[in-house]
Amino acid sequence: MKAFLSACVVIVVIAVGAAVVLDKINKPADEAFASPSSVRI
Amino acid sequence: MANWLAHARFIIGALALLFVVAMAAPASAQQRNPDNSTNPTASAVKEDQLLQQMKIISGRGTIPDTKSYNIEQPAGRDWRDFHQYTLPWIGTIAIVGMLAVLVLFYLIRGMVRIEHGRSGRTIVRFNAFERFVHWMAATCFIVLGISGLNITFGRPLLLPLLGLENFSAWSQWAKYAHNYLSFPFTIGVVMIFLMWIAGNIPNNVDVEWVKRGGGIVGDDHPPAYRFNAGQKMIYWIVVLGGTAMAVSGYLLMFPFYVTDVVGMQWAQIVHGIVAVLFVAAMLGHIYIGTIGMEGAFEAMGTGEVDVNWAKEHHSLWLEEERARTGPNQAQPQPHATPAE
Repeated sequence: MKAFLSACVVIVVIAVGAAVVLDKINKPADEAFASPSSVRI
Repeated sequence: MANWLAHARFIIGALALLFVVAMAAPASAQQRNPDNSTNPTASAVKEDQLLQQMKIISGRGTIPDTKSYNIEQPAGRDWRDFHQYTLPWIGTIAIVGMLAVLVLFYLIRGMVRIEHGRSGRTIVRFNAFERFVHWMAATCFIVLGISGLNITFGRPLLLPLLGLENFSAWSQWAKYAHNYLSFPFTIGVVMIFLMWIAGNIPNNVDVEWVKRGGGIVGDDHPPAYRFNAGQKMIYWIVVLGGTAMAVSGYLLMFPFYVTDVVGMQWAQIVHGIVAVLFVAAMLGHIYIGTIGMEGAFEAMGTGEVDVNWAKEHHSLWLEEERARTGPNQAQPQPHATPAE
């Protein structure tokens, strides 16, 4: 049970960390659409 | 005279009709250039002709990224057919088929019991770190599986139950979970690979284990080291399937960084097929680790298994452990309970 709960905590930490990092990399729409290589369609 | 005029009108009318038909034929031919290629500016050119000739239909745009000008490509149609029709069929057959086999197997065979009963003594099978890694990958897999299946089956199965707004909200959160839990899942798969590779190299014992059906039918107990052939199969499905899922998933999560739109369509095809087969295989793994076999869940629950369970299912591993730690290292287990 401890192993499972520890795993759940680490999962949340990694997932939230990934979300924060990717959010910083993500370009705002006005910037992305003004770039020659950043349109996501 | 009147009769003659009527005949003349008929003849003139027929000639006029012939003239119109004759003129119409060259008009059709004008859709092609002298070298027989399609003239895309012809007014009556058809979409299919354009696709066949040009492979891709592009328009004009004001966005600097020219990829956004592509309107249609033939591979896009094949891809659409795949994810709208082919993938749901593959997924339904794999997952429902696996569930049907497991239900049928359970009804015929029932739970595989510890033949000689519990000894009351346990032996450590997986330490805390191994269980932590297993549960990290497993928990992520369950969420990834449900949120991924929602992409293929959510619209026909959940939308009628949840309604538009609820289904949209659920799908949005499921997609967030799918994206972000991919990272701990990938880390878990890499750790599983490194942690258990030594015990999962196939050997001659596995051949014998497979020949005897793994002891799943009847009361046979073929010898096995720490991982039997069935568990090795699951290990390699997790490692290879997990790698395929991670690589194809990240190609989709970070579009155009590594591949173009055709490459991403292939990535989605690989991701979809491997995913439904992966889910089907893991259903089998979950079955045998829970209701399918007495005492199996304890290996990943408490980390300790009954000595009689180890003797029946992993006799060679038990011998190795006893040789390593001594025969009296097994822990007494005063309150042994079945895994069901």
